[in-house]
Amino acid sequence: MSMIIDARGLACPQPVVLTKKALDRADDLTVIVDNAAAMQNVSRMAESQGFGVSVDEKMDGIYLRLTRPVDESLGGKVPLLFEPTVLLVAASTLGRGDDELGSTLMRTFIHTLSESDIKPHKIIFMNSGVKLATRGSEVIDDLRALEKERVEILACGTCLAHFGLKDAVEAGRISNMYEITLALMKATKVISI
Amino acid sequence: MQYSVVLFHSITGALQAEKRLKKKGIATKLIPVPRQLSSDCGVCLRFERKDEVEVRRALEEERMDIQGIRAI
Repeated sequence: MSMIIDARGLACPQPVVLTKKALDRADDLTVIVDNAAAMQNVSRMAESQGFGVSVDEKMDGIYLRLTRPVDESLGGKVPLLFEPTVLLVAASTLGRGDDELGSTLMRTFIHTLSESDIKPHKIIFMNSGVKLATRGSEVIDDLRALEKERVEILACGTCLAHFGLKDAVEAGRISNMYEITLALMKATKVISI
Repeated sequence: MQYSVVLFHSITGALQAEKRLKKKGIATKLIPVPRQLSSDCGVCLRFERKDEVEVRRALEEERMDIQGIRAI
């Protein structure tokens, strides 16, 4: 089913809310917005649901065409249920027992992940894990490489504030409990380390 | 870029060497030992092969006990 939503003139988060509702029913949706922030928010939400996004900037608005991907192996008709793999990193060290070892394991894990063929869709840093995404971290280059490969990196804002690191984020972006909870609940697979 | 790695007998040794090489301005990266190599501990220090002479000299000066240096 195809639909058109005209979200011009609507304030945030209305365009995202309307789009989200429509995506439950439509396979092919055109959303018209009038500003870049709405375009990015709608695109991000649609991509997180597995929809393909194409953008056409016209004189009278930005047209976003959102299309549900199809599963070719099932005859190209069946909607693909796409939910991402999320990696939750809730500490700056990997495992318990010895922090020097734990820190080394975490660094080599993230480096290996950056070179792995299979990557998570999102990485969420919480508690002392946020230190890995901030200035002075030994894995900034690895995280940036992951971002280039379209891995979304989120750092818990509350945690950054607690460690006084809100201005020191060097990879990914600052997120909040709403977005993090939603990402975890929607994920088909959460890898928690 | 061409790389080589320093192999160590222990993680502690690898971390000490990393610190000392950093002080001397030599860029290294702590990585898992590549599959084709083996070592006593699972991590090694990767560096640009062009820095090999400097790395060897620095490790000798610091009397670091290493397992070897290999091209990767």
